[in-house]
Amino acid sequence: MSALLEVEGLTKRFSGVTAVKDVSFTLAAGEITGVLGPNGAGKTTLFNLLTGFLPSDHGAARLEGRSILRAAPHTIVNLGVARTFQLCRPFHGMTVRENVVVGCLAPRAQIGAGLEQRVSDILEEVGLAHKSEQPVDILPYGDLRRLEIGRALATRPKLLLLDEPFAGLGAGEIEPLVQLIHRLHDTQGLTILIIEHKLREFMQLVSRVIAMDFGEIIAIGEPADIVRNPLVIESYIGKADHGVA
Amino acid sequence: MGGAVLVGLLAAAPPLLHNQYFTGVFIVCAIEAIWAASWNFFSGLTGRENFGTALFIGGGAYTAAFFNSTFGLNAWWSIPGGIVVAVVLGLVVGFPTLRLKGPYFALATLASAAIMQQVAINLWQYTGGSEGIYGLDRLVDSSLGYYYFVLAVLLATVLVLSLIAHSRWGTILRAIKGDETACQAAGINVTVYKIASLALSAAFAGLGGVLFAHYQQAVTPDDFDVFLSISVIIMAYVGGIGSIWGAAVGGILLNLMLELLRGMGEYRLLVYYLILMVVLFFMRSGVVVPLWRRLSGGRSA
Repeated sequence: MSALLEVEGLTKRFSGVTAVKDVSFTLAAGEITGVLGPNGAGKTTLFNLLTGFLPSDHGAARLEGRSILRAAPHTIVNLGVARTFQLCRPFHGMTVRENVVVGCLAPRAQIGAGLEQRVSDILEEVGLAHKSEQPVDILPYGDLRRLEIGRALATRPKLLLLDEPFAGLGAGEIEPLVQLIHRLHDTQGLTILIIEHKLREFMQLVSRVIAMDFGEIIAIGEPADIVRNPLVIESYIGKADHGVA
Repeated sequence: MGGAVLVGLLAAAPPLLHNQYFTGVFIVCAIEAIWAASWNFFSGLTGRENFGTALFIGGGAYTAAFFNSTFGLNAWWSIPGGIVVAVVLGLVVGFPTLRLKGPYFALATLASAAIMQQVAINLWQYTGGSEGIYGLDRLVDSSLGYYYFVLAVLLATVLVLSLIAHSRWGTILRAIKGDETACQAAGINVTVYKIASLALSAAFAGLGGVLFAHYQQAVTPDDFDVFLSISVIIMAYVGGIGSIWGAAVGGILLNLMLELLRGMGEYRLLVYYLILMVVLFFMRSGVVVPLWRRLSGGRSA
């Protein structure tokens, strides 16, 4: 497998606090990787750096050898990196279908006349076909997550970044979402990077974990090894208020 | 169907009333409707409220005055000239300000319109100062003829802007209103769409300004003050935010209402603003569009 994404020495400071410090890793094409860490470990900042929503201070990030760090968010999407947000950000005042349409209008999606069919296919894929005409503002949270994933898929990404896709979901909603992510990986060969601070969902999903704490990578490895890693255990147990759920 | 009735009413009213004064009232109604429709295209769809549409209107109107009165060009040159100047003003205002979020865009547009007004007063050697520029030709000789010309421009404006609002372009503008950050995350270059849309909105506002200048046959800085910008916003709110034709109808109704209240003398504006407050408090999605939906049995127009 060749490297889809290479990150080298990525660093971001916020007025004295180093949110992301000298982070380096590579993602192989077709891999599902998790970013694990307690709240405040720098996971979301890392996503914001990779997607152009925050400028980095140092370091490099290359998608298939091409630097993405100085690019605008929409440019990075059109190079093939799509994301979802930790707190869902639907287009308020629009329907489920229209939300996905906007993703299909990204230049990368290259949709002409086939727009309607493409949107229907995506809604089918994420399980929202029966709600396509509903306004997003009445959608339950679990559906908003699926919608965010659908909108990201609409841009035809190579790499999908999911920021805590299970946060705020009920027990019954997590398993179908895990299956959806598996299906996207299996059928479309998507490379996926998932942020999560709970271990349980990770074990089922990812083949590799990048563990972070205080902005630094403290371990990279298979899930089974990561949960036994003393540094990882310490980062969780040392912060009883965050807890391992 | 209902639209045709509305247009028929608008076309038939002035000749039936057969009164020069009322024809003038309808001309102003139609021009202000163009302004309201152009405002609603950009601000109603994107949610970025432009408090300085008087800049674009005044830009168009002063261009007409310079071209026709100062340089003595044929009056029809005012239309392309006014549109180009308004578009340039839209780009000049849009580039630095459309990156701003929250109230900053609104304040920046408000300030830029105020600056233009001051410039028009201060450069009196060229602009005639607060006296303005007089002696513009009429575009069409008869009042009724001019009314039909303005009405045709209004219909074209509503048609063009509605078509765009219902196209993929309009979908993207509504997505920007829905969540601009998410729109970037969906791969859309929101800056390009916002600036292009503001420029298009400015083009039609400026076109309305040209029609206004040639109707009054004069321009003065007072015509393009902050109250003009705000009254255009009110027209769009009364019509229905985001609806092009709703804003146009809102503009016509508010101007007619202001005219009907003329009998109330000094209480006219008081009553007018009271009605507005009631509308804005109790009918948050406007009057024209919701009323239309009810009358046409729930179908969207």
